[in-house]
Amino acid sequence: MNVMRIGHASLKVMDMDAALQHYGNVLGMQVTTKDADGRVYLKCWDEWDKYSLILTASDRAGLDHVAYKVRAESDLDALLPKIEAWGIKATMLPAGSLPDTGRMLQFNLPSGHEMRLFATKEQVGTEVGSLNPDPWPDSIRGAGVHWLDHTLLMCEMNPEAGVNTVADNTRFMEEVLDFWLTEHVLVGPDKNIQAATWMACSTTPHDIAFVGGPRSGLHHIAFFLDSWHDVLKAADVMAKNKVRIDVAPTRHGITRGETIYFFDPSGNRNETFAGLGYLAQRDRPVTVWSEDRLGSGIFNHTGDLVASFTEVYT
Amino acid sequence: MRIDAATCENQCGDAPASSLQPTVTVACSGESYLCRGDESLLCGMLRLGRKGIPVGCTNGGCGVCKVRVTSGRVRQLGAISRAHVSVEEEATGYTLACRMAPETDVILDVVGKLHRNLTRTAAGRSELPAAARNDHGRDER
Repeated sequence: MNVMRIGHASLKVMDMDAALQHYGNVLGMQVTTKDADGRVYLKCWDEWDKYSLILTASDRAGLDHVAYKVRAESDLDALLPKIEAWGIKATMLPAGSLPDTGRMLQFNLPSGHEMRLFATKEQVGTEVGSLNPDPWPDSIRGAGVHWLDHTLLMCEMNPEAGVNTVADNTRFMEEVLDFWLTEHVLVGPDKNIQAATWMACSTTPHDIAFVGGPRSGLHHIAFFLDSWHDVLKAADVMAKNKVRIDVAPTRHGITRGETIYFFDPSGNRNETFAGLGYLAQRDRPVTVWSEDRLGSGIFNHTGDLVASFTEVYT
Repeated sequence: MRIDAATCENQCGDAPASSLQPTVTVACSGESYLCRGDESLLCGMLRLGRKGIPVGCTNGGCGVCKVRVTSGRVRQLGAISRAHVSVEEEATGYTLACRMAPETDVILDVVGKLHRNLTRTAAGRSELPAAARNDHGRDER
């Protein structure tokens, strides 16, 4: 149903100045607007829509909502009854609920995460423009991330109690939003419990991912970089800025992504994700990761399971 | 000299040693270490390569380093998520080790713990989910 890509993530932060130093000087995003409630809106240099990140001052960390962009306003009208027919209540927020943004279709995933869909956001253009552009602008700061790439949501899961919102979310995204599965982790005696899923709506190995945990929350938001060398340089920038790195540069087996995980000053996990991985297509066979090789799926080089990586989140 | 929490976490060993070196004791394990007065309880542990308090985001957001200070005085270095430490808990000594520097010798109990998610299922310990949920409930008060 014409979902194009992730549109923005809205994060709760406990220290706005520290958050702006992090997302501005470390990741290289630009502040594009602020609103009367004190929220700050930022974009990456290679994005053309006005913002991809919203920061809201709060007494806690975590995800406020995640939004995906659809092709047309009419998609929102078509999706509202489809979402409700699936059994999820949805609300159409009027244009202007967020600055420079059209109507938003607001609902909660089975895991409880708030998701919004929108079709219209003011386009301000990339920093290299659209007429005979240079490959990159001279204004790049810090890691110089290109764009918000995806999010990974931790989803409540307790198979013994019959709760698996990873599977519920995955089914909803397939049946209503027309995402498709690229990879999943299957566990349990019959190897049929979806403990984690990666799903696409564009051509990247994941536009969203879901991983099971004791409670729902935000695992990370990820920003795109071109190459392995950009990942190395990003890690150098983080070291200079005393950013807490969770996982130093390495490669995932799952998605083949070249990666760094690190925490923003409120403890929200970020990722810089580089490389194509592979061309995600609807007819590509779904990759399966089994319990005994899960470590290699997560960190390809060591194959070790790192407890803090799956168990620490906001 | 202004030292914020993030600086402490990553410059462990860079700053000149303070003359004040309180002792931090983790009650349940009996482990103790010297912690500078300008670094967090968690940073002091990490800097010395010690264990005992679970390590998460180190920035006050994830709650896994939740402790209860039962003896001694501490000073707050940065914001602590209310999702993990309530006002009532704070009044009775609960806090996050990544956000507190010792002003005196400190004795603490470890409250937070890592919840085994994917690694739990991968290890085949299927009896753990219910326990993990109960633990979570305790953390989320």
